[in-house]
Amino acid sequence: MTTNLELPVFTNSSEEELGGKWGMVIDQDICTGCQACVAACSMENNVPFVGEEDAGYGRSMHWIRIERLWDSTSFPGIKMTSYQPVMCQQCHNAPCEPVCPVYASVHSMSEDTNLQVYNRCVGTRYCANNCPYQVRVFNWRDYTDARNTKLNPGLAVLQNQLNPDVTVRRRGVMEKCTFCIQRIHKAEDKAKSEGREVQDGEFTSACAQACPASAITFGRIDDPNSEVSLAAVAQRGSHLLEELGTLPRVTYLAGGV
Amino acid sequence: MATYAKPLSRPKPHTEEHEDPREMLMHDPLPRGKMNEMVMESMHETSWKFWGVTGFLVFVVLTCLVYAWYRLIMDGLGIAGVNRPVFWGIFLVDVVFWIGISHAGTFISAILRVLKVESRRPFTRAAELMTTFGLVQAGFSVFMHMGRVWLAYWMAPIPNERMIWPNFHSPLMWDFMAISTYLLCSTMYLFLPLIPDMAMARDRTQEGWLKTFYKILALGFRGTEGEWKNLTTAMNLFAFAIIPVMFSVHTIVSWDFAMASRPGWASTVFGPYFVIGALHSGMAAVAIVLFLLRSTMKHYKYFIRPEHFNTIGMLMFLVSMAWAYFYLNDYIVPWYGGNKWDKIVQEFAEKGPLAPLWYIMLFCNIVVPWAVLWNKKWRSTPWLLAITGFFINIGMWLERYIIIPEGLTINRMPFTWRLYFPGVEVALTIGMFALFFLLYMLASRIIPLIPVWEVQEGQESHMLRKIGKAEIPTLSDLE
Amino acid sequence: MSQSITLLAVFEGMEPAAEGIEKLHDLGLNDDEMNVISGIPVKGSILGRPSAITYVSRIGMFGAILGMSFGIFLIYGIPYLYPLLVGGQPIFPVPQGLIITFEMTMLGLMGFAFIGMFVDSGFPSYTPKEYVSEISDGKIAVLFSCPDNDQKKFVDVLIKSGAQSVAPAEARQL
Repeated sequence: MTTNLELPVFTNSSEEELGGKWGMVIDQDICTGCQACVAACSMENNVPFVGEEDAGYGRSMHWIRIERLWDSTSFPGIKMTSYQPVMCQQCHNAPCEPVCPVYASVHSMSEDTNLQVYNRCVGTRYCANNCPYQVRVFNWRDYTDARNTKLNPGLAVLQNQLNPDVTVRRRGVMEKCTFCIQRIHKAEDKAKSEGREVQDGEFTSACAQACPASAITFGRIDDPNSEVSLAAVAQRGSHLLEELGTLPRVTYLAGGV
Repeated sequence: MATYAKPLSRPKPHTEEHEDPREMLMHDPLPRGKMNEMVMESMHETSWKFWGVTGFLVFVVLTCLVYAWYRLIMDGLGIAGVNRPVFWGIFLVDVVFWIGISHAGTFISAILRVLKVESRRPFTRAAELMTTFGLVQAGFSVFMHMGRVWLAYWMAPIPNERMIWPNFHSPLMWDFMAISTYLLCSTMYLFLPLIPDMAMARDRTQEGWLKTFYKILALGFRGTEGEWKNLTTAMNLFAFAIIPVMFSVHTIVSWDFAMASRPGWASTVFGPYFVIGALHSGMAAVAIVLFLLRSTMKHYKYFIRPEHFNTIGMLMFLVSMAWAYFYLNDYIVPWYGGNKWDKIVQEFAEKGPLAPLWYIMLFCNIVVPWAVLWNKKWRSTPWLLAITGFFINIGMWLERYIIIPEGLTINRMPFTWRLYFPGVEVALTIGMFALFFLLYMLASRIIPLIPVWEVQEGQESHMLRKIGKAEIPTLSDLE
Repeated sequence: MSQSITLLAVFEGMEPAAEGIEKLHDLGLNDDEMNVISGIPVKGSILGRPSAITYVSRIGMFGAILGMSFGIFLIYGIPYLYPLLVGGQPIFPVPQGLIITFEMTMLGLMGFAFIGMFVDSGFPSYTPKEYVSEISDGKIAVLFSCPDNDQKKFVDVLIKSGAQSVAPAEARQL
């Protein structure tokens, strides 16, 4: 048993500037709302199909959602806002972390993202209530149990498309976007074995890879020359619900006027 | 003119003007042997109707609680009505509701004892039993809402080979610590004054399994000076110490909501608001339980009298005014200068699709008690007080429903707003109510619900003293 | 030393019991050689005796200190041994410390007071004891030991002063 006496000073007041390691920039001017990122994320991360009835009741489990909101709904001035893809913002001061009673939602010190530990989660769902972005989803049933053919008759066949790099969650467990941490780890392992740092653009998250308009940029934000850092400092950039002080890692570039 | 004295009230015969103090329990002593016999008889003699109701409750518990909970564990929370964003539904409403009910027991047996309110004497045990049984239901509700309840032991701070401990930053862990403390301490506080009554029951029971049960629980109590001194010291210590625990428990439960950074939930008034709300529903439940006991148990009309309902009614009235005060605080502050999300939450509660619930809640919680409880004669009428209590409990359950599922529907991301429709939670709630009453009915068969030694102690300390022409009740401090 | 015998005197209520105890004092018995058994707690001064000593509060205080140490260990000792970062909060939080320490202190206080009551009274004890069941019906019993030879004198004095019965105490299974 070793004790790390070099504990970091980890309080709210110290980290106002956007630090951290992995970040994302989403250009709402380019996003067409095609949902390719949603599909890619679900396939990459073994996000289960919940079935028609549960999806209608608000239990679909996509880790990223495209929000369409209306500025004005009265004819003839009907106006929609820009499409807004929302996934876990990997907040530096994540409100979901302190409220989990069993430490299933903790902050990663090496990647500076928020980790959801599936096998520790007991399903109290306080983290989901406390997330201001509502990006956490819960496994309400055994959606991925191949014996559960009543829910989805073709489920046994669909097992073949599961990504072996990512675990399959059982019922009673929270999950959310991880910034494709399996890809992060794969790239870091490869780089470490070659004795170097991860290069910018060496890999990217599933949503960024799939976007046909390249609206999503992903990379190292502690490197000021990476693509994502250069995009994040644009004048159009802002954060969701910035006033809450969660210090999210996702920057949104405002859509055109 | 000689004097401008104010006219006196219309002359009535002197004896009719004032209440007869002999109507009060403390001034109406019976021989102690007879009182003990009455309490023992009320336990052993009952009618077929009692067993009929018990059988019905057992059926309800088996179907609505046991079978439904089995299905919930096997099929998962999908059969409940929760979704995104309403991740917490009726299970949490039930948790808060039952913990609220349980606070009445401590209020009566601890706070009224510390304040030396003598009319508490006959019903402290009935109220304490409500605490214990209410906490059982609250514990069940907590386990029901968990996604992987078979791993609930991970929330206990015990050494394990995973080398990981629970997270005390979380209000749910404070809940765990506070509710366990409260449950253990109030069970101990229920048991302490029970010991002399168990000794009395042991002396008056024939040999059999019941006598063995009383003998074991009486611990060999005889009533020597040392035993009484230890017992009363422990009881006084508990009475003082359990009051801050009671306040802290429901404050910590309120922090489950207040600590979340959500509109409508992050309110600094939640601590005392929930405590007063707990007392409100708890006292109302005591009124219902006492009415049921008085009307169904043999000889209880001697022990539980209109004066006791008057005491409870006055407390209910006071608490309902305090609750209205806290509700005004919670509502008017965000309305006046609050941010747009707090206003939207409030508007949804008052004008949304579930607005009738809000109006029913206000009617049940404020209008009904204020209309009934101001009048002493109405307060002393058992059935009227019980009906008022029933309305108050409906109102308080709705109040928690408005805070939890309705509060969760509205958040800062309007794309995710969604209504909540309960599923299996309805059956489980009904099952838990049935279990509460069933436990109470079974307890009434084996333990005396009246702490008869405390009533006798009170009757020894009270006497009527003749001052001038009147007989004035006086109370001496015998202990 | 002559043989001594234990007698059990049963009185109607508190007044006759106080009289009887005074007579026993006159006959030369110390307070330590008497024990009073009653159905409700009776203050010592009513019967002209000192009140009993209890250790329950002291045991409770000890328990409170234990509880406080346990609470402090939970909230500060564990994160020192196994630190985990959550949500921008310090590893050693002050508000949570107050809450958990308070709860555990109260649990220790009340739990140990409860156990202290058991220990101090010798509960649970199921051996045969000197007792009569009329005590729960309102009688007060005085258990005392007197020299064997003087038994008749003690009995006469007490019966004359108002005792209902004075008889050798038999230990019976309760």
